[in-house]
Amino acid sequence: MILNAAFYLFSGLAALATLLMIFQRDPVKAAMLMLAALLSTAGIYLVLSAQLLAALQIILYAGAIMTLFIVALTATPAAWRDKPGRGSFMKVLGLAAASVILMELLKVSTALKAITVSPEFSETGTLDLASALFGRFAFQFELLSLVILAAIVAAVALTAKRRTAQ
Amino acid sequence: MMEFFEANKDILLFTGAAAVKALAFLGAVMGFTALMTLAERKVSALMQDRVGPNRASVFGFAFNGLFQPIADAIKMILKEDFVPGRAEKLLFTLAPFFALVPVLALFAVIPFGDYVMVYGYQLELQIADLPLGLFFVLALSGLAIYGVFLGGWASKNNFALLGGLRGAAQMVSYEVVLGLTLVGLMMIYGSASLQDMVRAQGRLLFGFIPAWGVVCQPFAFILFLIASTAENKRTPFDLVEGESEIIGYFMEYSSMRFAAFMFAEFIEIVLISMLIATLFFGGWQVPYLYETGFMFPGGAELPLNHYLVSAMQVGSFTVKTVFFCWFSLIVRWTLPRFRFDQMMSLCWKALLPLALLNILLTGAAMTFLGKL
Repeated sequence: MILNAAFYLFSGLAALATLLMIFQRDPVKAAMLMLAALLSTAGIYLVLSAQLLAALQIILYAGAIMTLFIVALTATPAAWRDKPGRGSFMKVLGLAAASVILMELLKVSTALKAITVSPEFSETGTLDLASALFGRFAFQFELLSLVILAAIVAAVALTAKRRTAQ
Repeated sequence: MMEFFEANKDILLFTGAAAVKALAFLGAVMGFTALMTLAERKVSALMQDRVGPNRASVFGFAFNGLFQPIADAIKMILKEDFVPGRAEKLLFTLAPFFALVPVLALFAVIPFGDYVMVYGYQLELQIADLPLGLFFVLALSGLAIYGVFLGGWASKNNFALLGGLRGAAQMVSYEVVLGLTLVGLMMIYGSASLQDMVRAQGRLLFGFIPAWGVVCQPFAFILFLIASTAENKRTPFDLVEGESEIIGYFMEYSSMRFAAFMFAEFIEIVLISMLIATLFFGGWQVPYLYETGFMFPGGAELPLNHYLVSAMQVGSFTVKTVFFCWFSLIVRWTLPRFRFDQMMSLCWKALLPLALLNILLTGAAMTFLGKL
């Protein structure tokens, strides 16, 4: 009972924070609301007894990514300044895209409802996850790290080019 | 009424024990932190050949400044609570909470002793034994960044913003090193629960050296010491404040709002000292002391009462914590401040590769020498 209540509380908070974020015009305040949404999501993971996922959600998203985001926001405020609307065509396009995503979500959610989650599910912890990541899926995992490496090299190359241009 | 108690006995006992432990442990930490504010000023006075605060007195008894923390608290409460006109009111108010709450919550996972038997009930001397305690530590210390940043940003003061930005950049950089140094420990002890790690440190290497973290991971200890000082924003990494140049993120704060930031910094010293003691110096372990008493490597034994053993273990943890708090104070008044680019290149070009090398070496050692 308590777990159900907590689940709906965190879900409601996440949805509310995300909505407020979309309608917030000040970039730093929007970032703070996004932080609230990320933390609520971590709460949902915790209610579903996925402790590792909750911890990683906070460490990676709330701790690292949002901080970099915020530093970027305050270091280059002009780039994030709210611009006036781009005209009706873009608005219609955005609405169409949003309605497509909403339809897809509704479709998925009815399918999800049919799946029953076993009540004694608990993510037993780091060991199982680690043995899966470094055992069965080691190749895919390493492949993924190559993608990240490519992104880092690209970022360094871009800044290096800008520096020589000056 | 009685039936309700009988039916929910387990959960009521658990909640009651947790509440008592939280109150006792946090109360002790708060009291110790108040004394730390005095110790900081006394140590600085000693090192600069001054007397330090010695005038605050009750009925003429000053005890060489022992009442100074109380006088400071009264002064802070009575100061004007000021909010700048252009500040973001809500975030300006929230920032001190963001600084204080994560630090206080972290004490939940620190094991300050093994266990005590109370009326046949085994009372673990740790508020919450999370299986992923180390991840919890990293997650919450990551959230502490927002207190610094929000304080700087919501003040709408350029110097405060500079301090907040410096703080965010510094803390997020050293957080990475902090996390990576702990990986080696997790590999050796095979657990992320702090209580499990402390218990594992009770074993002996070669029959007589306690398997403390500093023995198994000396390299990680030095890296952790540097990274945690930077994380705490103390000299030589206090560019966030830089008293003589930008003052820092709490520039516009006064009264208890400022006191919350200052208190959070001092509590963080205690927390980091406890973490160092727990991770690298055996936590509550006393060398050769086991549940039934001393068992020396030569074969000599000294059986002891259970309560005496528990008291000695809590005492050992306290002594280790006090030692590292003192060390932190000494470092502050010994080293000069870094320049910002020096600090950043120290993190990304020196500490980070060394932390990765430490993981590699630990893995290699464990492969070739076998698991501890």
